Amino acid sequence: MATTAPTLPKEATGRPAGPRTRARRPGDELAGYLFLSPWILGILLLTLGPMVTSLYLSFTDYSLFTAPEWVGLDNYRRMFDDARWLKSVQVTAIYVAVAVPVKLAAALAVALLLNNKRKGQGFYRAAFYGPSLIGASVSLAIVWKALFTDDAVVDRALRAVGIHTGGWAGNPDFSLLMLVLLGAWQLGAPMVIFLAGLKQVPVELHEAAHVDGAGRWRRFRSITLPMISPVVFFNLLLETINAFQVFTSAYIVGGPNGSPAGTTLFYTIYLYDRGFSDFRMGYASAMAWMLLLGVGLITLFLFRTARGWVYYSGDKR
Amino acid sequence: MGVMKRFTTVLAAASLLFAVAACGGDDEAESGPVTLRYSWWGNADRAALMQKAIDLFQTKNPDIKITPSFQEFEAYWQKMATDTAGGNAPDVLQMDFAYLREYADRGVLYDLKKQQGSLGLDDLLEGLKGAGEVDGGQYGVPVGGNTWGYVYSPAAYAKAGVPEPKLGWTWNDYRSAMEKITRSTGGKMYGGGNYIGTYYNLEVQLRQEGKLLYTEDGKLGFDKPRLAKFFTEGKQLADADIVLPVDKGVQIKPKFALELDLIAGELGWDNFMARYAAATKTELKLGPVPSDNPAQLGQYLKPAMLLSVSARSKHPEQSAKLIDFMINDPEVGAIFGANRGLPATNAQRAAVQLEGPLATVAAYEESIKGQLEKAPPAPPKGAGTIEQAFIRISEELQYGRIGVDQAVDQFFTEAAETLES
Repeated sequence: MATTAPTLPKEATGRPAGPRTRARRPGDELAGYLFLSPWILGILLLTLGPMVTSLYLSFTDYSLFTAPEWVGLDNYRRMFDDARWLKSVQVTAIYVAVAVPVKLAAALAVALLLNNKRKGQGFYRAAFYGPSLIGASVSLAIVWKALFTDDAVVDRALRAVGIHTGGWAGNPDFSLLMLVLLGAWQLGAPMVIFLAGLKQVPVELHEAAHVDGAGRWRRFRSITLPMISPVVFFNLLLETINAFQVFTSAYIVGGPNGSPAGTTLFYTIYLYDRGFSDFRMGYASAMAWMLLLGVGLITLFLFRTARGWVYYSGDKR
Repeated sequence: MGVMKRFTTVLAAASLLFAVAACGGDDEAESGPVTLRYSWWGNADRAALMQKAIDLFQTKNPDIKITPSFQEFEAYWQKMATDTAGGNAPDVLQMDFAYLREYADRGVLYDLKKQQGSLGLDDLLEGLKGAGEVDGGQYGVPVGGNTWGYVYSPAAYAKAGVPEPKLGWTWNDYRSAMEKITRSTGGKMYGGGNYIGTYYNLEVQLRQEGKLLYTEDGKLGFDKPRLAKFFTEGKQLADADIVLPVDKGVQIKPKFALELDLIAGELGWDNFMARYAAATKTELKLGPVPSDNPAQLGQYLKPAMLLSVSARSKHPEQSAKLIDFMINDPEVGAIFGANRGLPATNAQRAAVQLEGPLATVAAYEESIKGQLEKAPPAPPKGAGTIEQAFIRISEELQYGRIGVDQAVDQFFTEAAETLES
């Protein structure tokens, strides 16, 4: 200690230092990376690494127990002959096409209602956001299924108005709709974003249109919708991508076989079944990459169409 | 200051690296007691019993320590698959008959024939001897056995005026009994579930005809017309509204119709008797399986679960000792009762207190003892997948989404694809 102590100040002052900012020292960069290391390790080991591995595995026949065997594009080719894969694509496509518009319309409608000033507004907002907090929970899916069985709440209510469907959980014609409703019920996230968007719509525009004699619907169509179109687009993208990944609720309701009669065989469920029940990791990996490709293409398509209907204020058009 | 700061940085980074390193290593010291990892599937009830047995084992073998772990059945196999792939399988693991070949063929299980000194198999019930063998190697040891049977409510039979099933009844008798019961209650209680939903019913029919579900060389033991006959029986039962409608069955999952008093009886593994009896107040009995061939019930004692040792275990001898204790020790038999199926060895069976549903099961197995045949060879790789396909396709058929021919074609296509890969 005694011998090293006096040399310390020299070392510290021996470096060229600017008046305001401290100069970089050789060790600084290293220290920076060390501080970043938790994140870097996380992204390398837990995200990028597995992704690259799964891309490689998608070109192999890999049963978990034996070493992966290169098969080229075989897994991808097989999908198109696989009746269950086609079925799962169909189920997922129908779900996305129905659930996303239903959920967005419901979220927008609720947001419009909550945008008006009224007593207890905070309570209503919380109440409508509530279901989203319990999001993808297993218990919720179990309760939801119980609501839709024979002689349960929904069945009785429908019978009271003369509709006889039996429990939807066992009826192949309604099972998917039941999951659509579950999704729509959890409209909290898009609703909050819609609300924020609605706050941005200039009041002057509404007032001017009102003076000119425009009715509510006309004002909604011609002022509100165009003004919040970026928010609609954002929600549309987010919800579409989310809808492709439905898993928990569907797994609880339909199990690995997509009961009843394969009508809830979502893409993710089939993927999981192939990988973890049938031990076909190569095929499951290929399925995952096909899903990524599909969602990517649809996102691209949405961006293309957005040019036609999304209006950004300040946009000279 | 600067030095202090840098010192802290290095320290922080170093501790981080340590944390990472700590995740990787769990090597144990060479000296001291040997630690075995032991995994099984089951619920908390089983875990409590298991812990009792493990404590007993550790008292008797102070040089061996057991680290237990358990999951429910499906999660268990998912974890087992990934652990095994990562070279991290437990030393001793609970094995299912349907997965035995899958694992044994891939060389991840230890051949217990090499540990005959530590593991006694002589006391196994006659029907279970050789049950854990695959191609001459002993890759699993049965801990319990069960057999196919007919669980029914005698009250429901009496109410409908149908005589109770007895040895010698045929599949036609079974179908007409179900029809009479269903009709007599006006559909309030069904005579039974649709038996085409379970592929062991096909197996028992095949065995009654002297055939097998899977042949010795791991192929399907039946042809398309045979499966079409089976599916047609169920289709007719469903169309005539004799059996519990499929949409009911789907909605009550994971419960069973017998637990909810929705049906008068059901074919299934006899150890389910205990589960049913715990769920319903209705008195239940176990009767014989219907057969069109009086000389052949088609039944066998199936290993309800087995114990295996991982091929990578560093302590095969101690592992064999643990298995020996689990199957032979009478105290262990008394602890578990029929939790793992009725015990596989005579000594443990004698130690089990037989009362209530347990006594029913034991009496049933005793009554058909003479008719039980040798268990079939361990099913081929992918048998679990094929069973799932069978359940799914049968469900679609009962829903009327596909016809019998389409169902048969679909099953054979999927089975072929699974067996060849």
